[in-house]
Amino acid sequence: MTLNRLPDPEKRLSIRDLSKLYKEFVALDHISLDIERGEKIVVLGPSGSGKSTFIRCLNRIEPHDSGVLMIDGKIIDQKTDLTELRGRVGMVFQNYNLFPHLTVLENCAVAPRLVRRIPRGKAEDTARRVLAQVGIAEQASKYPIQLSGGQQQRVAIARALCMDPEIILFDEPTAALDPEAISGVVLIINDLAAQGITTVCVTHEMGFARRISDRIVFMDKGRVQEITPPEEFFTAPRSARARAFLNEMIRF
Amino acid sequence: MRRTGLPGVLIAGLVTMFATISARAEAPPSFAANGTLTACTNPTLPPMTFVNGAEASALAGFDIDLVREIAGVWNLRPDIVQMDFEGMFPSLSAGRCGMVISGVMRQATRERNFDAIPYYESAMVVIARAGTPKISSFSELSGQTVAIETGTSYGRLIEIENAALAAQGKPPVRVQLYPSEDQVIQQVLLGRAHAALSQDVEVLYRRRQLGGKVTTIFKPDIPDFHDFAIYIRKDSVDKARLEQAVDELRRRGTLTALAHKWNIDDTLEEAAATRGAPSRFDVQTFLSALVSRAFFKGAAMTLIMALLSHVTAIAISIPIALALNGRRSLIQPVLSAYVAVFRGAPTLLQLLFIWNALPQFLPIFRESWFTPFLAAWISLSINESAYQVEINRAALRAVDRGQSLAAEALGMKKSHVYWHIVFPQALRIALPPTINDFISLLKTTSLASVISLQELLAVTQIQVARTFQFTEYYSAALVWYLGIVFFFLYVQKRIERRFTWADRDKAAAHDA
Ligand SMILES: Nc1ncnc2c1ncn2[C@@H]1O[C@H](COP(=O)(O)OP(=O)(O)OP(=O)(O)O)[C@@H](O)[C@H]1O
Ligand SMILES: [Mg+2]
Repeated sequence: MTLNRLPDPEKRLSIRDLSKLYKEFVALDHISLDIERGEKIVVLGPSGSGKSTFIRCLNRIEPHDSGVLMIDGKIIDQKTDLTELRGRVGMVFQNYNLFPHLTVLENCAVAPRLVRRIPRGKAEDTARRVLAQVGIAEQASKYPIQLSGGQQQRVAIARALCMDPEIILFDEPTAALDPEAISGVVLIINDLAAQGITTVCVTHEMGFARRISDRIVFMDKGRVQEITPPEEFFTAPRSARARAFLNEMIRF
Repeated sequence: MRRTGLPGVLIAGLVTMFATISARAEAPPSFAANGTLTACTNPTLPPMTFVNGAEASALAGFDIDLVREIAGVWNLRPDIVQMDFEGMFPSLSAGRCGMVISGVMRQATRERNFDAIPYYESAMVVIARAGTPKISSFSELSGQTVAIETGTSYGRLIEIENAALAAQGKPPVRVQLYPSEDQVIQQVLLGRAHAALSQDVEVLYRRRQLGGKVTTIFKPDIPDFHDFAIYIRKDSVDKARLEQAVDELRRRGTLTALAHKWNIDDTLEEAAATRGAPSRFDVQTFLSALVSRAFFKGAAMTLIMALLSHVTAIAISIPIALALNGRRSLIQPVLSAYVAVFRGAPTLLQLLFIWNALPQFLPIFRESWFTPFLAAWISLSINESAYQVEINRAALRAVDRGQSLAAEALGMKKSHVYWHIVFPQALRIALPPTINDFISLLKTTSLASVISLQELLAVTQIQVARTFQFTEYYSAALVWYLGIVFFFLYVQKRIERRFTWADRDKAAAHDA
């Protein structure tokens, strides 16, 4: 790989030798990676390889222990204003983590209101527009418990979008969805990229990964094993570990 | 008349002397502070001390009148404090009472710790249902059940008798203890106890209520049960002053007048002959008790005490629950100990401890601002907070960790995460057990009657002691308690209906 030793302030994200420890256990081991604006990154790898840990470091839900994380030329460390950082880096969780006591509309408007101090009316207008964008405008007044899995996933994405982020992190967004709902998420993610939003997505679905990635980051044992475009990754992976991983996937 | 000339002068001289002595007697005793004479009484012993009428604060009786007369001798303002019998002597020690006057007998053992000033002669009587043959000694009660009032010294009397019976190889007298005199007599009427120990004045006074249903079967001559006495903290000067004040009243004829006023100057035989007490359930009495001011105020006190204590308990418990659920710290073991102690100790013990033991360590709690209300509020709040901590901890833990993670990922501050995301969800989980606890607390407030809080049960007991109509007043109290509890169960249903978001079907119904 031909990365500079120093982080590149021109990139949306520039990561150098990022490491994370849980006590003695090395969860992330010297990860280096540059991500462009509007780029779609998919993180693949066996279970326990550190994929979730990696994307959680990007919005500092998990603080890293060493190395450099730079977003738009700014170094992210313990001095970073977390409210501002998380406004720029949104996150969508595997089990959505929607707020069950709030309606769909309130789920989307609560953070802009509290964090950005946007008046309720304006925050809800934005929320309605974003809900329409992800195709569930008519569900605005329902509670999460009344929605299907696919609809809930769209609410989770809409909730992140309402903060107007530059980067959205997805941790296994399709784990509980049927193929039709997965196609819907593909459309949404590609639409985000078209708007210039950078997406970093962890997934186990190979077909899904192929349809929403500009580059595949393959991880194993806390390390980045290879970074390749999807066509190449799925036909001719460079690393032996990736080959073994893909063989394993095909067998199931 | 001549012959009286010289003695006349003598008498005149004596009168002057007495005047000087009584002038000295008019110097108030040391326990009178700020021109007030504080006397503690347990108003469940008519005619000596009881509540006359429906109003819980309307104290009456021989003792109550006597306090006023004594205060008059010294130009003091009488302040009569009601409390549980068990609480009176600890309160006297704690300095909360200047004197105890509550139909208590003068007894050598009590005089070891306190000074006693006798004021009225009495006699102990053993009573039984009408028609029971008379006996001539306690030993004839061998093997029988005898009811006596808790905290009185009749118990020791029986113990001594039982030791003698045991030596003769005879079965002992079986003792049943009841917290008030009226309940003691009730056991005889019900036939649960063969006999009861009481004082003659008591039986005299109750002659109308008892209506010839009981008879005196034995009138033992025991020095410890000869005189009603006022008790004060040991102080020879105070004792002399109080004795002189009582003598003064005796000389003026005040004591005789009081005895007549309270109907205790007749003979027992006459008393037993009087008849005519109602014994069926009297609907009229029940209804008027139900709507009486006394019951209304008692119920209000119960409700206010429960609400106030629970709100305080919740306020205390939330930070404790958060700290215990949070990161390990040094205060966690302290808080765990707090929860363990106050969940472990009986509520009644906590009440008695705060009311009676605390003032011994911290004199500030002896002062008059520390009322039964405050003591009950503190005890019940602390007690309930220990339970509420567990409810809150469980509720907070039941909120998925992903919720606060998602909120943090949206950039919310810790306080926002708690207020807008975690608490509303924890509230729904905590609500049913909290209301459950509240209902149980509502009933626990009745324990505060031991520290003389005038809540519903205390009011009921006072009315029963006055009228002897157990069924009617107990029923009225039951109706009040049930009414309050059902109201809160209804409130709980209403509140739960607002949490539609937690239930898919209800949410849909709410939608449509
Ligand atoms: N809070 C934590 N404390 C200790 N170890 C952790 C913690 N979080 C993750 N780990 C460990 O770090 C490693 C990487 O975990 P991570 O969740 O990032 O894996 P993953 O690649 O997302 O796996 P999966 O595909 O199963 O979700 C695992 O071995 C895991 O046990
Ligand atoms: Mg994971």
